[in-house]
Amino acid sequence: MKLKSRHTDVFELVFGACALTSVVVLFLIIIFTLKNAVPAFYGRLLTFENLWAAEYNRFGLYTLVASTAMVSVGSLAISTPTGVLSAVFIAKFTSSYLRDVFKTVVEFLGMIPSVIYGFIGYMFLAPTIAKLFGLNFGQNALSASIVLAVMVVPTIVSLSTEVIMSVPREYEEAAMALGARGWQTLLHVTIPTAMAGIVSSVMLAFGRALGETIAVLMVAGCPTRLSGPVWNFLQPVYPMTAAIAMGMGEAEVGGVHYHALFAVAAILLAFVFVVNFAADVLRRRAPRRIVV
Amino acid sequence: MRGRFIDRILMAVCGLSFTLLALALVGLLYILSPGLKTITPSFLFSSIHEGGVLEPIVGTVYLFAGGAAIVAPIGTFTAVYMVEYAPKSLLTRLVDKTINNLAGVPSIIFGLFGFTFFCKFMGLGVSLLSGWLTMACMMLPIMVRSVEEVLRTVPESVREASLSLGATKWQTVRHVILPAVMPGILTGIVLSMARISGETAAILFTACFYTMRGLPRTVLDPVLTLTYYLFIHVVAEPGELDMPSLFGLALTLFMVTVTLCSAAFALRAYFRRRWRI
Repeated sequence: MKLKSRHTDVFELVFGACALTSVVVLFLIIIFTLKNAVPAFYGRLLTFENLWAAEYNRFGLYTLVASTAMVSVGSLAISTPTGVLSAVFIAKFTSSYLRDVFKTVVEFLGMIPSVIYGFIGYMFLAPTIAKLFGLNFGQNALSASIVLAVMVVPTIVSLSTEVIMSVPREYEEAAMALGARGWQTLLHVTIPTAMAGIVSSVMLAFGRALGETIAVLMVAGCPTRLSGPVWNFLQPVYPMTAAIAMGMGEAEVGGVHYHALFAVAAILLAFVFVVNFAADVLRRRAPRRIVV
Repeated sequence: MRGRFIDRILMAVCGLSFTLLALALVGLLYILSPGLKTITPSFLFSSIHEGGVLEPIVGTVYLFAGGAAIVAPIGTFTAVYMVEYAPKSLLTRLVDKTINNLAGVPSIIFGLFGFTFFCKFMGLGVSLLSGWLTMACMMLPIMVRSVEEVLRTVPESVREASLSLGATKWQTVRHVILPAVMPGILTGIVLSMARISGETAAILFTACFYTMRGLPRTVLDPVLTLTYYLFIHVVAEPGELDMPSLFGLALTLFMVTVTLCSAAFALRAYFRRRWRI
């Protein structure tokens, strides 16, 4: 016997329609980005040369993609060790009261507007870097990586803390009972069990780093071409997001530059989706706390 | 005793990493602190033509009030649909995946989308209204997730009690579920507003206009926000504002965001405790 009453259906429809909104929004984002990007791909506007200069109609992807890769990999190189070790500290070495306080501290770091990070990077970090390395300009890949690292580290810390705390207590107790030390348990039991979740958090941070715009724009320098090889972090860089934000203001709607920027956006969107998908797959393999 | 020694080293290294992060927050506050001297009532409440920041503050409030008003019902109903009506339907699974992806879309892409769709395709132009709609799209994942989280903490027995009294599904949702998840809805709204108050990339070409120096008179006028005002004065026109004003502006923005975040965190802590006693 079915107990479902039929006259509630109208509300179900209304709620369902609201639920559909988010699907429609994502669909429209993809369609409209691609629609404006197609002329650029079709017209062979984009090249792989090391020059992105709208005034000469030269749109070389190398400059932008290499810059984005540099700053996001650079930021992860700083934030992954710091973030994971902090997560271990918060999850394993603190009382439950302090844990909430520490988590909130890190969460605040993640809620600070990116324009403030950019402002501080521009006013304080870039000059410091310039002085430290004896450069004329401090706006370079290193400054951008440091600023980005602080911005994405909360993602790593809060998710990793969660995962490390979800590792079943029995695993660790079993190791302890066999005579393992605290560090041995941590290194050989806890971390390997939580590994999928930790890598997932790093991937999510990677996705955020790829898409971060304003702070990066303010400290990266934004030259039209990379002057040195990609491993030189003391050169100014021009990430994809920065190119979009700088270019959209002057690009004529429907013009060559406009379509080129949408093509960059489409490539960025593809990168972000792939990275987030990987994070999602890994997260499902992470341990979950079983509530009895 | 070698083992205990390594234990201590490990703890020290982990503690050091965390200290580094805490120091980053302290350093940030320290760098912004010169702004304290600038923030006076006359700075906050006088027009930008007289060296104040009144218009950007009001503009920020306009932007997040409107965005939240649009996203609050849609986000709440989406979550209610997913948890209460159709926990296993195809649509729910699709929406769940979509929300995850939407949360990962960079804000600059939302900005581009807002520009092509709301400003150009729908013909709204660079305006407050386009800004609201773009912001609403961005806030949707935050709103849905925070309402969903609370909905899942409502005990099954509460629903069953209501249904056993003869209430229909809608009556249960209206009189039992929605009042119970009010804190979740509030948290969602406040968290979304915190997010918008710090957003720059998405409003860069949807809601703000370079020469705009006043308050919008209609929803089709562009708006000036704290983030945009700070951004253009650092990047596009360095030197137009003096240093104390710049730091005052940054600190004002910081305080707006931090206040909203603290409110959201406090609300969340409150409701997380509520059903678990």
